[in-house]
Amino acid sequence: MGVIVGPRVIDAGLSLVTALLAPVAVAAGYPSPAQDYFDGRIDLNEHLVKDVTSTFIVRVVGQSMEQAGISDGDELVVNRALEPKNGSVVIAVLDGELTIKRLRITPTGVILQADNPRFPDIEVPALSDLIIWGVATRCLHHV
Amino acid sequence: MDVNCFYASAERAFNPALEGKPVIVLSNNDGCAVTRSPEAKRLGIAMGEPWFKLRPRAKEWGLVALSSNYELYGDISARVMELLGRYSAWLEVYSIDEAFLGVKGEPDQLLALGREMKAACRRNVGVPVCVGIAPTKTLAKLANKWAKNNPAFGGVCRWESVPAEQREALMAKLSVIEIWGVATRLTKRLNAMGIFSILDLTRANPVAIRDKFSIVMMRTVLELQGTPCIPMEEERIGRDQLIFSRSFSTPIITTAGLRQVMSVYAQMASARLAKHDLQAKVLTAFAATSHFNPNEKSFPSVCLALPMPTADPVLLTRAAHALLPQVHEGVKYVRAGIMVTDLRPSGNQKPLELFENPHEERGIGILLEDVAKRYGRGSIGLGHAGIKGGPDWSMKRDMLSPRYTTHWDELPLVKAA
Repeated sequence: MGVIVGPRVIDAGLSLVTALLAPVAVAAGYPSPAQDYFDGRIDLNEHLVKDVTSTFIVRVVGQSMEQAGISDGDELVVNRALEPKNGSVVIAVLDGELTIKRLRITPTGVILQADNPRFPDIEVPALSDLIIWGVATRCLHHV
Repeated sequence: MDVNCFYASAERAFNPALEGKPVIVLSNNDGCAVTRSPEAKRLGIAMGEPWFKLRPRAKEWGLVALSSNYELYGDISARVMELLGRYSAWLEVYSIDEAFLGVKGEPDQLLALGREMKAACRRNVGVPVCVGIAPTKTLAKLANKWAKNNPAFGGVCRWESVPAEQREALMAKLSVIEIWGVATRLTKRLNAMGIFSILDLTRANPVAIRDKFSIVMMRTVLELQGTPCIPMEEERIGRDQLIFSRSFSTPIITTAGLRQVMSVYAQMASARLAKHDLQAKVLTAFAATSHFNPNEKSFPSVCLALPMPTADPVLLTRAAHALLPQVHEGVKYVRAGIMVTDLRPSGNQKPLELFENPHEERGIGILLEDVAKRYGRGSIGLGHAGIKGGPDWSMKRDMLSPRYTTHWDELPLVKAA
């Protein structure tokens, strides 16, 4: 096995400036009154990624989820550990492709829907007939 | 725990179209097959088979060949290990796709735990794994292998849950080579003693084995008999060597070219040593011509004791250049590398002032590291290592899949249609 290059995990936070974050009292002069209240800046990872190990970022190609506020080119935060529920936006494997759909679980079967009536529903008898790759938890929409 | 066909499985996790197709992952420079999916194995593709021999038939077979996507494999491996860490704090990461976990419990609990781990790796990270559960590491490896090859286990085998006759039948069938930790070169000597199968070795007298071989082999025998002898290692730091070696996409035929290669590797070694607070005492530099080219054979190699334990890029580079007088101008070298050995923690032995290294004192290595950290690898280098526009011998990865989890512009695409 060759030399393994350590992975560079995508960091949505602001790690470059972390070192400069904490205000430090200057030797001469009045200490900053804000210092005692500073606990670090908002870290997007902390809020958008609940389970680092099982979370992946994917990019959307296509318009079928426009009405859910998910546009072509948006990035999605996908957690593979979550149990898909009725109404979840899921990434399903369809014909060997990762496909984004809304999951509907009804007493008579399971439906994968696009949030756009132009695209037909896909119906299966049970959830186990589907390969659900992960559940989308956030959409990083480009405004 | 062991991930099934790790590289191929990591690729499939993000490209489900590869499911069910024969997939191979190629070594550095797209040299030869290093991972084969079960479908590829069924085609008769051997481990290490060179790509240039397979390529003509790839289309007819529907074979998918991929370059090694180390960024992806490194991240997926880290995720698997993180996940396993949730099941036991007693975790030894043995390689990129294997780990030992220490767990206690009743037989049923252990089996249930193994199945849960397997399911979690599949669901949360997307890769299939097999689990072998046994009282010793050697038996756990064997159980793991069994779980992988016999579908009846469903990927999880607890050694002691299998009836003794079946275990013995398996061990009688498998050659001693199949045991974890038994070197191939020792099998002849074992065979001479009438030890052919794993069962033969299990029934051997550990003391006689120690006298004929070593304490290491005795441990293997005891482990096969169910006595734990190989302790769990928390982290494999005490590693005693670092190797930097690659094959080149285009052969190097000039001394100047190899001088550049040696400079780059020496600086990589320096950076790695500095990162782990280590210093090396010995450096080996080598180059080699292709195994597939019987007409031109040249394998220059030098081994040097460094003037003092060091991680200094200047000293390491100078030492690596000692290879150059042995290099034949015009010969096609396809591989080269350096290895640093006899590693020790830096700074625990203050050298006499007379022998103190003038570069180390001025912190050149640290400075290079800082600049590289801030402005990226390749932004600064010593002498021949060059800076811009990667030298033309740098690694070839023509069939590289996207680095899905480490590069923002290479994220997996999901279809909204």
